[in-house]
Amino acid sequence: MKKYTPYIVLILMAIMKLPARAQNTPLLNSYSAASATVYLDFDGATVTGTLWNEEGKIVAEPSGLSPATVTWIHKLIADHFKLFNLNITTDPTVYERAPLHQRVRLIITPDGSWYGPATGVSAIGSFVWGDDTPAWVFMHALSDNPLFIATAATHQIGHCLGLQHQSVYDSYGMMITELSGGETNIFANEAPLMGIPFYKMADWKDGHPSTGASVIQSDTAQIAGTPNNIGYRKFAVSGSQSLSAVKIERQDARHLELSSLGDYSYRLFDLSGRLLTQGRLKTGYNEISTSTTSQGIYVLQWSGENESGSQKIIL
Amino acid sequence: MNTLKQILSSFCLLFSLSLSAQKNESALELPYTNKIEVSHEVLESLFQANTHIAVEISPEFKLVGDIQDKSLHNNAVVSLLIKLEGSPKGTLSISRYRDPNGHFQYTGHILKLHEVEGLVLKEKDQHYYFIETQQKFLVSE
Repeated sequence: MKKYTPYIVLILMAIMKLPARAQNTPLLNSYSAASATVYLDFDGATVTGTLWNEEGKIVAEPSGLSPATVTWIHKLIADHFKLFNLNITTDPTVYERAPLHQRVRLIITPDGSWYGPATGVSAIGSFVWGDDTPAWVFMHALSDNPLFIATAATHQIGHCLGLQHQSVYDSYGMMITELSGGETNIFANEAPLMGIPFYKMADWKDGHPSTGASVIQSDTAQIAGTPNNIGYRKFAVSGSQSLSAVKIERQDARHLELSSLGDYSYRLFDLSGRLLTQGRLKTGYNEISTSTTSQGIYVLQWSGENESGSQKIIL
Repeated sequence: MNTLKQILSSFCLLFSLSLSAQKNESALELPYTNKIEVSHEVLESLFQANTHIAVEISPEFKLVGDIQDKSLHNNAVVSLLIKLEGSPKGTLSISRYRDPNGHFQYTGHILKLHEVEGLVLKEKDQHYYFIETQQKFLVSE
């Protein structure tokens, strides 16, 4: 036995030196069919040669989150990108195989003191740069709260995909606040993901970004369109299934009345992919206002926990 | 009468000049304002340098500094990180890749984290410009 002791010690040391990934991080993919990839890096990293490296190399510690928490955070983030032809992965090999100009790594790490007091930081549009500039989420600044981490991660990915903050302006076009908390509709419990998304139901919005009151930023159109060119996901749901789950019962110039077999989120697009309105469908009767929508052909897309679908609508 | 004509024609000239200036400005989307053209040769010279660069683009704009890092991504994109000591100061991160037609394309920034202003390298009609902009439009929290 004694003669094996050094080998046993060596093996134990090797096991202890294994990276956290082998024990902790589950390999998850939200949509493997897509080549465009966002890699959620929970495993820590040493970053060099990027615009973040003003003061030399950055050593980011692993998140230390449990597999269950990683899985939950991945699901929350993936749900926000369910509409798009984009894979949210925790697998570094998937990231390495992704096209250089359609990928980004988001490092989720406890401490961001190298940068300063922030919940995260990213370079706007870096998804298409091709130089592997990572984005960051700093967990301690989010009280290590998994929901906040997922929401902040989605916000930073939005920046990487070219989105600016959704802001609030007064009627003269003067900025009231750079980060909208959903103040434009105080009766709705909703906030833009590119504003302050932590305390309300957060989703992509059309609104005025931080670049100016005269600009409209449609978050979904920007993510899907140029220069990311990832497009929308083609839902592989059989026609009968999709039609039976959400059905148009009646429509006039001002309303769409629908029956739904489940709880879904919906989005109404014009044929150019511009998001017109969005919301939630509950089981049973639902009504969508179309009073501000001009006549034409539109696409209603809906998605839930396990199924999704879309259908053309003529208004 | 002649004086009135002269005033009117001067006004028209000024008005058309200001319109043309606005048109040139909008060629490189707002909020970008001041821009400094950089030739392909200058950009390429950065990638040929070994440890140090010293390029005078104008008396007020000199790229002088040491290369901190050079990296290759998927055998396709070369990235440089250069600490600039001249004017402007900051960190120049610049990358080069070939487009589907085999031509070199460049992307880059000159930033100093937490400063208000920054510069972004933009291409328009096969000309490259460093464009002054607010850093919050380049890097965001």
